[in-house]
Amino acid sequence: MNGSRRHFLIGGGACAACLPSLAGARVLPTNLESLVDTNYEPLDPDERGMWQSCERIEEMIRTSPQRLDAPALQDYTRGVVERLVGRETPDLRIYLMRDSSFNASMYPTGMMIVNTGFMARVRNEAQYAAVLGHEAGHFFRKHTITGYRSIRRKTSTMAFIGAAAGAAAGYSGQGSWVDAANVINQALVMSVFQFSRTHEAEADAFGIMLMARAGYSTSAASAVWGQLIAERMASAKQRGAKYKDRSESAFSTHPPSEDRMQDLSDTADHLSTVVVTNATDGRDEWLAAIQPHRAMLLEEQIKLNDPGASLYLVESLAQDGWTGVLRYNEGEVYRLRNADGDDVKAADAFAASTALPDAPAEAWRAHGFALLKAGKTPEGREALNRYLTMKPDARDAGIVRYTLNQ
Amino acid sequence: MVTRFRPLAAVLLLCLGGCAATTHQASDGFTPPSGKYKLVVMKPDISVSVLTAGGLNEPREDWTLTARENILASLKQQQAKRGGSTQVVFASTTAANDDPKLAELDRLHEAVGQSVLLHKYTPYAALPTKKDKFDWTLGKLATDYGAATGNDYALFLFARDSFSSGGRVALQAVGMLGCVVGVCVLPPGGLQQAFVSLVDLKSGNVVWFNHLVSTVGDIRTPEGADAMVNKLLETMRDPDAPKKSKKS
Repeated sequence: MNGSRRHFLIGGGACAACLPSLAGARVLPTNLESLVDTNYEPLDPDERGMWQSCERIEEMIRTSPQRLDAPALQDYTRGVVERLVGRETPDLRIYLMRDSSFNASMYPTGMMIVNTGFMARVRNEAQYAAVLGHEAGHFFRKHTITGYRSIRRKTSTMAFIGAAAGAAAGYSGQGSWVDAANVINQALVMSVFQFSRTHEAEADAFGIMLMARAGYSTSAASAVWGQLIAERMASAKQRGAKYKDRSESAFSTHPPSEDRMQDLSDTADHLSTVVVTNATDGRDEWLAAIQPHRAMLLEEQIKLNDPGASLYLVESLAQDGWTGVLRYNEGEVYRLRNADGDDVKAADAFAASTALPDAPAEAWRAHGFALLKAGKTPEGREALNRYLTMKPDARDAGIVRYTLNQ
Repeated sequence: MVTRFRPLAAVLLLCLGGCAATTHQASDGFTPPSGKYKLVVMKPDISVSVLTAGGLNEPREDWTLTARENILASLKQQQAKRGGSTQVVFASTTAANDDPKLAELDRLHEAVGQSVLLHKYTPYAALPTKKDKFDWTLGKLATDYGAATGNDYALFLFARDSFSSGGRVALQAVGMLGCVVGVCVLPPGGLQQAFVSLVDLKSGNVVWFNHLVSTVGDIRTPEGADAMVNKLLETMRDPDAPKKSKKS
């Protein structure tokens, strides 16, 4: 797989020879120009048809109850994108979506979708920018239409429509790709827009270039992938399964995650020697923007019942400091996993959470019940009362009061 | 009410010569709307594509827009004949006028409509619990919408039409040549598929549903759109009307 990407570099990167310091197999970031500007309008019939179909999808996304209502985070996200692109972006429309999968996507019309499952895993603004920059790369390099045209030339329908075809085939296999995208399920909407490996590599390079220009620490791009690989390994280990890189397959459209991480890291190293001065990772900015949503983001992940991944996530985020919300969610993972000794670990985590200033009300409830279970009745009652004081209208307030009255 | 399962593949096989087939479904005790009623035509889901040589359906904006206009005009005309007062509703395409409730109803119908297609019209996908009955519903979302708007019925329409590109026609010609030596592989040409469902906004139920598959016709022309709309709706007469119409 590495071989094929090297091959691409030789074929596509005219400047490969003039930058000998780049030893790896990757697309060069320095000579990728944007192919669309703010006034871009498609003219060819195939592209116009694609835009019309995308507009229909956007209508669906815009009115979706799955949208995350978070105006401040929305503005913040646009701010990051504009810092990356280096101008105002009236041509881009950003939608934050409640979807627990690690994903973001960009449509040729300028619709950008950012999933909560991605936000949940991000540790700083530079990592956020890395993925948004990558998606912007697909947009500015017009990957959707060029990818489609290449597929049309090769006439391999299945590759383009990918997994979504099966669902669309419910309607007798005569639908177009937009019907595949129309199948309510947002995951399918996204999988329709799979790009080729070369396009993915180019978007990676484009994204890194934007990051470097914007003064973001470019090592964040490979860090994102490093975290994802480590999380998937932790998840596999917990389940007693063997870690398998899903993009390892020859049929996959994405470069294998580890190769990709290496490429990103090499490119970042290269750029850091030639372009970047005073790059920042924007950790404080990110933490301030995401803080109001962290509890929701973590809850969404933990309810996926993947304790290996969830513990990794909580511990990874805790590298920037334990908070009451993180400790509470750590306890929740143990409580829900319920393996031998998990009750003690959960109780410890809940106790640790309540010792921190931002402990959520739920942590006091969990702490209270853990104390009651351990026979520490007065302390348990006090914790439960604290919960009721913090959240008198909680949906389970009645049952907590009942417990207190026993 | 007896329902008929008509495998799509079989229909298509019979249709090689060029024909249109419809099979409708109706809920128990269905009587077509009559007298003075208010019917709202939901924004029709229409896409017209060119079928590329390799078999990709490539949506065409201009064809789709024309077809949508034609079909809406045909629906209005068709409904005028029935005597109801038809009101046409468009889900807006501008962010400022988005109605999330209406969009949700559209999405719900899409899911239900596709389920009907799958479980009533696809071989081996029939549901045991839906055997011999037609009882799909859009539930409260539909009745709420009816109550809020004062409409009695909602009509949903889904249509796909495709036309072979020059390359596709050439490919078909090559396939024909194969028949001479006994190897007949005929890549299918453009195809028209549509379904329409009538939802009673008092009960929320899908009371009537019709599906059309055709190898002829062209909804890019007013006549073609009329033909499709008429074929889809002509059997909505009374419960004892023939359940299937077929034209060669």
